[in-house]
Amino acid sequence: MTISESAHANAISARFLPRDRESFFDAQRRNRRATWRMSLFCLLSVLVMGIPLALITTPLLYGLALIIADIINSFSPLPAAFWQFSSDLAHLGLIAIGWLLQQKPADPQVLAVGLAVMLLPGVLLSLVLWFGIKLMFQRSGVGGALLALKAREPNQGDLKELQLADVVQEMAIASGFPAPTVMLVDSAGANAAALGTSPDDARFVVSRRLIDDLNRDEIEAVLAHLIASIGNGDLHIAFRMTAVLESCGLLVAFINSPFGPQSRRVLWRIFRYGFRASIGKDNAQEAAVIAKLLSRGSNLETDDIDNFFDSGRRSSLRSIRNFLFFPIFFTNTAIKLCLWFFSMTTLGPAMALLWRTRVYLADASAVELTRNPDGLASALQKLSYEPGEIPGGDWAAHLFFVNPKSAHHGAPDARQRKLIAQAWNTSQNGATAAPISGGITEFYKLQPEFAGTVKAALAGDAQAAERLRTTYHTLQSSDPALAAELPNPDDFLAAARLRDPEALARLMAAHKHALLQKDATQPTKGPSSQPDSSSSHAGLISLHPSIERRLKRLARMGAHFEATKSKSGVIPLVLVLILSPLILLALGLLILLVSIMTMASLVFLVIWLAAIHKVFALLPHTVAG
Amino acid sequence: MSTLLVLIVLAVVIVIAWLIASFNGLVSLRNRVQNAWSEIDVQLKRRHDLIPNLLESVRSYMQHERSIFESVTQARAQAISAGNNVLARSLAETALSSALGSLLAVVENYPQVRATENMLLLQEQLTSTENRIAFARQFYNDEVMKFNTMQSTFPRNLVASTLGFSPAALFTATETDRTNVQVKV
Repeated sequence: MTISESAHANAISARFLPRDRESFFDAQRRNRRATWRMSLFCLLSVLVMGIPLALITTPLLYGLALIIADIINSFSPLPAAFWQFSSDLAHLGLIAIGWLLQQKPADPQVLAVGLAVMLLPGVLLSLVLWFGIKLMFQRSGVGGALLALKAREPNQGDLKELQLADVVQEMAIASGFPAPTVMLVDSAGANAAALGTSPDDARFVVSRRLIDDLNRDEIEAVLAHLIASIGNGDLHIAFRMTAVLESCGLLVAFINSPFGPQSRRVLWRIFRYGFRASIGKDNAQEAAVIAKLLSRGSNLETDDIDNFFDSGRRSSLRSIRNFLFFPIFFTNTAIKLCLWFFSMTTLGPAMALLWRTRVYLADASAVELTRNPDGLASALQKLSYEPGEIPGGDWAAHLFFVNPKSAHHGAPDARQRKLIAQAWNTSQNGATAAPISGGITEFYKLQPEFAGTVKAALAGDAQAAERLRTTYHTLQSSDPALAAELPNPDDFLAAARLRDPEALARLMAAHKHALLQKDATQPTKGPSSQPDSSSSHAGLISLHPSIERRLKRLARMGAHFEATKSKSGVIPLVLVLILSPLILLALGLLILLVSIMTMASLVFLVIWLAAIHKVFALLPHTVAG
Repeated sequence: MSTLLVLIVLAVVIVIAWLIASFNGLVSLRNRVQNAWSEIDVQLKRRHDLIPNLLESVRSYMQHERSIFESVTQARAQAISAGNNVLARSLAETALSSALGSLLAVVENYPQVRATENMLLLQEQLTSTENRIAFARQFYNDEVMKFNTMQSTFPRNLVASTLGFSPAALFTATETDRTNVQVKV
């Protein structure tokens, strides 16, 4: 049988590998240690981000409490002890602020209490938001995500889909883990993901194109990676990470709510969702929509407050209202700047690096499960040629096997590859050519030959030009739509060699026409219109490690594959070295800006709240001191 | 004097706690080993159940290959009757694997059987079954390795046999397989 044969081959070839080979157990141990380091880094980043945020939100909370207390006071007076307590708190807060802003010396114990007074409410609010979001999304489960992706059950009558179901069961046996349900997506991209918030509600989503393009060993490796990532607890980690991002978005929504209908709508949806008793299909979809809205909200985009302040009509009433609400506007900007800066520079990269160690760990565990690193290596190589985008999966981009944002839109699928390869082959060998498979590696092996022919044709070789023409005409007769996407060789050669403007015009027109045709027939869109809402990037670093890096680690575990020429990284490195002083300067300025805005927002808020309190005090009602 | 007493009592408590923890750890690993063995059993029985189906679907096309059918049926009967003895069972199941292998090799010579959809689905089922058996064996062996390692590392090796644990047997290649490999290499 195939398994024993390939294992036998591996066992023999293992004798001839280089000596610095790493077993998958060592690789796993290394990656688990790396995860601990990265988690610590994440925790530190959250703390660093939390301090300015807490400094900004705490006065808001106190102000809100004060306003409510004043309102209650005007109806029925509150006991004097309450006002004494609040003035004590204010005194402590002032000591802390004095120490921060002016380095006024203060007694350490009093200072500690003062800082706690200033920081605790904000910290507590963030924690409450984070836990609330986690609870909310855990309840909803994964059904909404599946609906958004338009996933379907596998068809047991189709051989490939039956194979997929069998491979999932095999991997479940190999890992000792119960097999999650697997769903299929018919999309133009080749990708697979493990969705869910915990192993209990985990689901596999595999695209049909992936099982068409990969053979059984490679599908096995992909599914081993997915089930290993479930077993290693990656779903919990991913859920916590997205909960952090979404609680930031919720905070921004809260801040925006007095000003804008959009944020109020989001908050209302969350409120309604949180208190729904039953869990049904609508709930799941609702949860997915809320997740998308919240993860978009933490970005610096035009939103309610800008609309609020920049509305065209300039009446004196509006100016007064703008003046009155200016501190809130300032606070809002400070919070968003703080969030953006820290998520770009510290929290984002920390989370990206943490996620990368999990991907490497899942790769090493997949090798442990299948005992066959070659399968995973060739799967990665084949998938690096394919588009990975699955529409509707933007917010979960980090959970996919390869980066969905890889730049291979429009790569030909199996049927198209077969036709193109056949046309190319018949142009050389005539109509009696041997049948060609549509395999990815065989297809891309033809590329140097093709490039050479094009070069020769451009240089004037008539035979090469003739070959291109024959290929094009063969393709036209077998699939005119496919041929329309490729440039006509006659026009191409004329435009390139003779600078014929009419040929160029014809080429452009044909290209535009082909694009329109493609958009009309394909229901799915190309690159998403909102790149920010995708979770494939956190800050400046992509959450997915590059395929070359994963292949390098697999090679250390014993995989054999043809190494493709790697792009030299020298030029970007030189650029980074040259620009680094400028980058450091920019970072320093941004930090300064964030701290200035934090302090200014504190000052503004304190003045504003004091003014409101005074206004209430001046009102002719029974007031106790 | 009283601090010494307290220290001794503390030490005894710690040792007892460690004993309890080791016992529980060994028990849970032994249960996992037994669970893994029953998983292999499940997959082997699944193969037993699939074979009559396979024989029926090819019998009508291959009237002259009676001997192959006989050997497969016989091997299946022997595997079912082998029971839970690890060595006898693994011998019988390996014999059944080789009988099936030769049956499928013969089927390759009959193109009209090979291409039927029924045959393709059955072949996929057989391949999957062989893979499942292989992975179940791999999982069992991994669990046995963990169990044996836990028993034989210091300081548990001092108490393991007293507590009633003995190393489990790996599901390895049988005698016939080992001799075959030697001859080939």
